[in-house]
Amino acid sequence: MSIRNDFPILARKVNGQSLVYLDNAATTQKPQVVITAMSHFYQNSNANVHRGVHTLAGEATEAYEACRSELKKWFNAERVIITSGTTESINLVAHAWARANLVAGDAVILTEMEHHSDIVPWQLLAQDIGIELRFISLNDDLTLDMDAFEASLDGAKLVACVHTSNVLGIRNPVEQIIKISHENGVKVLLDSAQAVPHEKIDFTALGADFLACSAHKMCGPTGIGCLLVKEDSFSQMQPFMGGGDMIQTVTTNGSTFQENEHKFEAGTPRIAEGVGWAAALKWLGKIDLQSEHLRLIRIARWTANQLKSISGMTVFGRHDDGDSAVVSFIHDSIHSEDMARLLDARGIAIRTGHHCAQPLMKILGVEGTMRVSFYLYNNQEEAELFIETIRGIVERFS
Amino acid sequence: MTWPSDIQEVIDEFAEIEDAMERLEILMDFSDEVDELPSDEWTEQNLVKGCQSRAHVVIEQRDGTIWMRAASDAKMVQGLMGILSIAVNGATVEEVLELTPDFVIEMGVLNTLTPSRSNGFRTMFDMIQKAVMEMR
Repeated sequence: MSIRNDFPILARKVNGQSLVYLDNAATTQKPQVVITAMSHFYQNSNANVHRGVHTLAGEATEAYEACRSELKKWFNAERVIITSGTTESINLVAHAWARANLVAGDAVILTEMEHHSDIVPWQLLAQDIGIELRFISLNDDLTLDMDAFEASLDGAKLVACVHTSNVLGIRNPVEQIIKISHENGVKVLLDSAQAVPHEKIDFTALGADFLACSAHKMCGPTGIGCLLVKEDSFSQMQPFMGGGDMIQTVTTNGSTFQENEHKFEAGTPRIAEGVGWAAALKWLGKIDLQSEHLRLIRIARWTANQLKSISGMTVFGRHDDGDSAVVSFIHDSIHSEDMARLLDARGIAIRTGHHCAQPLMKILGVEGTMRVSFYLYNNQEEAELFIETIRGIVERFS
Repeated sequence: MTWPSDIQEVIDEFAEIEDAMERLEILMDFSDEVDELPSDEWTEQNLVKGCQSRAHVVIEQRDGTIWMRAASDAKMVQGLMGILSIAVNGATVEEVLELTPDFVIEMGVLNTLTPSRSNGFRTMFDMIQKAVMEMR
């Protein structure tokens, strides 16, 4: 109960009904402490960061850089580049690392369950510099084909792989992927957007070379995320977005650049968002994520089993303990969009569509799915209400 | 805002219903109003782009008035097509061009008309007006 009380939005009504928010894989709700921290910053300390000598500039810089310190502690990472989110973080690897270190014919390994944000940047780079893209196929149970993965590594320079699928909830064996890749001299970039809300990641112990994530999937604000980078890869990165804040000196003949993460953070950063993210991390730090995750995956598994028992319903994914609490499904006669609108009429928010994973949709043989995703403030009662409502809809409209 | 009388009648019908799910049910019932476009006439050209569901619309002029044929795999989209058919079928070019899409907000069946991936209604409406504009 106490976790729910921290989220003011959960008190609102939608179409006259109590809100049941099951769209957490798209974005999570924000606890009051995050909202307060951002308002407090704008009310008391708003100024641009770095270089300013007045009091507000000092306070703003300290508050913003505290976000980086919190992130370094949270992820046990030495280098944290603050970006606009997972998408920008992956694009940053493509532009700042891959463009500078890969040549025509080098291969980048992707999987068939990638989000578009981990496909399109590589396709654009392939058009530009002629790298080869290889997609690892899936087994019948929709897990990654690890034999195909191992076989694909010859000539590869980077594996860019989703940590936890946003559609299926399946957590890939990233430890094994990193180990095998490194044995073959291949670097690893993890798209951990869906993993960070559900597991506390120790970036140094995990050993990945790059890790991309977003604040808004873990109770932080939208518009901010980060790229964690191992030191040796960091030293191989070249600046790609030029502007203020990332330089040491600028003359009409040329420029020199900052040595630290600022080198990749041109322009005024998302200051209030940084303040909000730091507050979210402190709030999350008080929660036992591991036991909460087990509670949520049990709710997701129960939901998946209930859905499977409804006539005409197909459920995707396996919902193992390590997977995220996401359930994707379709109904054979009620269109996903219709179902989502009918659920919304009862205050239940779910997502529909291709979830920015069209190659995976093709494998599933569908154009899109419905998806429910649970987070810290959700409970079994909400799952039961969702199932009861969807049973009623199927009975009435199919 | 004043609407053509047949649209006002639909708005009034929705206004009497308080329950959101019932409103959606009524919306789906309007799918019967659509002069259905057979699937063999579904082309890339008459596809409503940006709609989560598959939707096709064809606009024709018969004896100086406008008529639409349409189809969708989502019942609610087809319902919206039905309501559009009520507004458009038998109307003159000028009458169709005078329409604005806000009546669906007034009916309480769509939350927004922002053109986006998730709202093909606006695209469908714009597509109809563009086709009619070309018939001018």
